[in-house]
Amino acid sequence: MGRHAAQRLLLAIPVLFGVVLVGFLLMQVVPNDPALVRAGPSATPDVIAAIRADLGLDRPLHEQFGLYLWRLLQGDLGVSIINNVPVVQELGATVGPTLELMFASLIWSIPIGIVLGTAGAYWRGRIADRVITALAVAGGSIPVFFLGLVLIWYVGFKLQLLPFTGRAGPLWTWEGLKAIALPALTLGGTFIGPVARMTRTAVLDVLGVEHVRTARAKGLGEFRVVTRHALRNALIPVVTLIGLQIGFLLGGAVVTETVFSWPGVGRLAVGAILSADFPMAQGTIIVLSLGFILINLTVDVLYAALDPRMRAA
Amino acid sequence: MSATTEAAIPAEAEPPRRPGTLSRLVREPAAAFALVLVTIVIGAAVLAPILAPTDPYDNDLAQAMAVPGVPGLPLGADAQGRNMITRLLYGLRITLLMGLASVVLGGGIGALVGFAAAFYRRIDGILMRLMDVMLSFPAILFGLALAAIFGPGIPAVVLALSVATVPLMARIVRGSALAVMGLDYIEAARATGMSDRRIILRHVAPNCLSSIFVFATLRFGQVILLGSALSFLGLGAQPPTPELGAMASDGRNFLFFAPHIAVIPCVAIFAVVLAFNVLGDALRDALDPRLRV
Repeated sequence: MGRHAAQRLLLAIPVLFGVVLVGFLLMQVVPNDPALVRAGPSATPDVIAAIRADLGLDRPLHEQFGLYLWRLLQGDLGVSIINNVPVVQELGATVGPTLELMFASLIWSIPIGIVLGTAGAYWRGRIADRVITALAVAGGSIPVFFLGLVLIWYVGFKLQLLPFTGRAGPLWTWEGLKAIALPALTLGGTFIGPVARMTRTAVLDVLGVEHVRTARAKGLGEFRVVTRHALRNALIPVVTLIGLQIGFLLGGAVVTETVFSWPGVGRLAVGAILSADFPMAQGTIIVLSLGFILINLTVDVLYAALDPRMRAA
Repeated sequence: MSATTEAAIPAEAEPPRRPGTLSRLVREPAAAFALVLVTIVIGAAVLAPILAPTDPYDNDLAQAMAVPGVPGLPLGADAQGRNMITRLLYGLRITLLMGLASVVLGGGIGALVGFAAAFYRRIDGILMRLMDVMLSFPAILFGLALAAIFGPGIPAVVLALSVATVPLMARIVRGSALAVMGLDYIEAARATGMSDRRIILRHVAPNCLSSIFVFATLRFGQVILLGSALSFLGLGAQPPTPELGAMASDGRNFLFFAPHIAVIPCVAIFAVVLAFNVLGDALRDALDPRLRV
């Protein structure tokens, strides 16, 4: 286990470097001079030169890179071009809602996906399996924004049941729950298919194994055989596979946030790119990448810790 | 339009090489349906300029938001009064081309990397670690980063989807090339003094083609889903370009007055992606059961 985790950690170093480098390059290709933008239209050449020196723009590229790294380590991601708010401050306000949305989406979609996948594996080849597989494939083919727009149009507009713009408060309040319902249904809805597919494969692998046959032979009820002996052993690969789907979830979250005006990092990133707010775009992309790397690493280490077979290897 | 016809290769040019694949495929009703749908979609995209009743940018504000079924406008018109049938046909064309460009570019480079890694064992480690690093990022992050660097537009999306495809294709090709290279006849070819290039081109690559086609078909669906999402966000095709994701995004503004403007491109994306996914799954079962996950 130690070796596996160490390997993954080692791989994270070039990945991190890549993220940081792309962030740096992003600021290098900016079409307009950051110092000019920061100084504003009426600034004198002296002021611009002072800002340039302050930002380190007058130094050679490798020194700029060092300066950039140093600021990054101190958590300084610069200031938005559009509204002069520190990027870190905006990010701090949006990370919470994004995590909230992901949590609210996974909490219902993963159990449903696991139940559907297990049922599909148990009734392999029968009608139930075919229906579930078809649903899973269809679910994996539907654009996130399609699902979101349909829910907005039908549940939000036609039935007037739930709100569909913005966040109304924390999850534990009634208003907050109502506001997150449609976004969470949208994002979670696209996640059921992949979870069901992966669970089905994992449970199928386990159902044929000897200890399951033994459990049957000793007269255990079918429900107990499937839940206690098959599903339980299949859960480890399922957890890992779900962890590896976080990238897919992240993509869905960016779209869902935009469709429902959910105040998360994804919407912030898209808005920043569309309005050419380069420091903000850089900050959001770095934070999204770091978060993603961190989750992947956690899943990897958890996997090694959970599975005794990995420990022996 | 030679680029678009290439998309038909996995479905239509495959059978002659291995007789029986098509018949096996058609026996499965879902796969047969998917094959028909893919053929229709590709046909519609290729023939869009002939089939479309109007120019995709022609607008008639008197017809703005006309609902489907109005005489002369079976699918209605969008908010600018452009014929939705025309927009849909051209939308399919641009969306499919975007997907094709990404799969060909990313898949081509990925395949080269995969062959190189399988054949030249000394660079295998470094190449595959590089692929691991690329795999560490989800496609959406490539999309955001490249749109930020190059500015929103179709080139940024194609580049992002290609970059995201390279490591996946490289892994598949390396795996199947390694399996082929373990076989005796490669040893025999080496013994006859054949050059590396000849061995790869004549003996290794043809035996990896089915894995490549299966993966490319499946990837095509995913790439279209991702690409249309990026366009929907405004990072890809820009209005008034008729691209399905951008059309859906435009329709979102009129969702409550004229839902058909958003729904029609959404349904089209869904149908195309579903058809490619079902066809890819069936192709995999028929051609390359090893790839089954």
